[in-house]
Amino acid sequence: MPVIEIRDLTKKFDKITALNAVTLNFNKGINIVLGPNGAGKSTLLRCISGLYRPDKGRISVFGRDPYVDDDLKMRLSFLSDNYALYDYLSVKDNLLFFGRLYGFDDALILKRVKSVLKELNAMDYLNAKVYTLSRGTKQKIAFCRAILNDPEVLLLDEPTAFLDVNASDSVREIITNYAKASRIIIFVTQRIDEIMRLEGRLTILNKGKVALRSSTSKIYNFITKDLEITVIFARPLAGSIAMDTPGFISGNSANPTLIKVRINSYKDINKVIKQLINNGAQIVSVHYIEPAIEKLFKKGSR
Amino acid sequence: MNLKNSYIVAVKDIKEVFSSISIYGPMIGVPLFFAVVLPFMSFYVAFYNAPYVAARIASLPTAPQYLRNLIGTTSFLDYFSINVLGPVFLTMPIITASVIAADSFSGEKERKTSEALLSTPIAKSDLLFGKMLASFVPTILLTLVVFAVYGSVINILSFNAFHEYVLPTTAWFMMIVTSPFLAVAAIGFVVMISAHVRGTKEAQQISTLLILPILTLPFISVLGIADLTASFFVYLTLGLFVLDVAVIYVSIKSFRKESIL
Repeated sequence: MPVIEIRDLTKKFDKITALNAVTLNFNKGINIVLGPNGAGKSTLLRCISGLYRPDKGRISVFGRDPYVDDDLKMRLSFLSDNYALYDYLSVKDNLLFFGRLYGFDDALILKRVKSVLKELNAMDYLNAKVYTLSRGTKQKIAFCRAILNDPEVLLLDEPTAFLDVNASDSVREIITNYAKASRIIIFVTQRIDEIMRLEGRLTILNKGKVALRSSTSKIYNFITKDLEITVIFARPLAGSIAMDTPGFISGNSANPTLIKVRINSYKDINKVIKQLINNGAQIVSVHYIEPAIEKLFKKGSR
Repeated sequence: MNLKNSYIVAVKDIKEVFSSISIYGPMIGVPLFFAVVLPFMSFYVAFYNAPYVAARIASLPTAPQYLRNLIGTTSFLDYFSINVLGPVFLTMPIITASVIAADSFSGEKERKTSEALLSTPIAKSDLLFGKMLASFVPTILLTLVVFAVYGSVINILSFNAFHEYVLPTTAWFMMIVTSPFLAVAAIGFVVMISAHVRGTKEAQQISTLLILPILTLPFISVLGIADLTASFFVYLTLGLFVLDVAVIYVSIKSFRKESIL
């Protein structure tokens, strides 16, 4: 039986239908929910966390209704897309406040806080007032707050949106470790590049409906279908070798240091690279332009 | 009900209010300013017989005869400090409670902190009680300080001029007793309003309408319609008690978690 069961969930705000008869299950591990603005991703998380009462349908987390069962929140945690911290309180006071509401004593809260903040390189800000912090630092503190109760279900709305590369990596590492410990992570994002950095099940939402259910590895089939890639070389390539490359479109000169190639599957990248290496090419890098998220939905709905 | 969680919420809210002078400065400064300035004004009327002001009051056709006879005596100071200044200071618990409660309820919505708060295992009743407590405690403390300051100023002025103290009187004590009931009514109204308005300002503006009935009291008194005696405040307190029970009941029933989201 799935840990999180959503049946026929509909949530409306005045005349706007944010979620339209959504039926989904989430299990242990990383579950990524991808979609453009207004797809209903954040509303879905708020319904699962018990913040919103569904207009129609049913949500069950560990067999219980999150909207009415306050005790269930001991096992859940929700990180919204805004940092949701008290600006005029210090970081320490903020985290102590939330920790105390979970019934933890101050010593345990501070132990957990220090461990996470060290990992996120934000320990220096423990006594700073929140309003003095940058957006990225606030997000680190908010993430720390979200895992303060060591939740079994972690609901994350764009948790790396304002973080630098190192902090994003640290957050992803913590998430991955959580998933390995049989926790349930629901990670909401609108960035395609984010899903490539995490291994997990993928749900694509569009206009309040489930557009596709897949996995992050399978999604490459969609992303790399009919895609143009750029291969860059350390030394100019012979024109004949370049033109002989499968899917060759163009090069930057007769003896190119850069060629553009069209592929139909991520597997084609291996073929192209293999052939070029066999022909003596010294490859520096391979790039592709990430398709617009809307294109992904068109592909997904085929 | 988990009172510990209510206490945690109340302490957080109070700490937030008193974390920046720009928030608590005007809230404390304005009442204290009035607590000093208004008694001085009444002293001026009473001690110097302020012919112009006294004549205006005495010329009111509805002004009671005893009021006309009081000007320039300690009795006028006594009358003025209860019947005119008293209701002005009774608005303090309403204003203070409204400001803190509006910030506490609608402020969470405005600053979007409520999502994190409501994601914790706190029950609706604990949250509501904690937030009411956070508005009530500072309001009552400030009201007591304001009454103490204004009472002291009146007494100092009275002693210097007439060599006797005017306060405390039973009516003055009863006014202080009335204050918590006014504060509770104001907080209850804010809770109800916060479910229907978007931000702090709207909640404050609507809830401070409660001061209007209180501000009619000096006119009622000067016009001789009613005298603000101890028994008047006893009846007022009883009426407020009934109002408080009704307002709190409705506010608890109408409060939904989404109202502060």
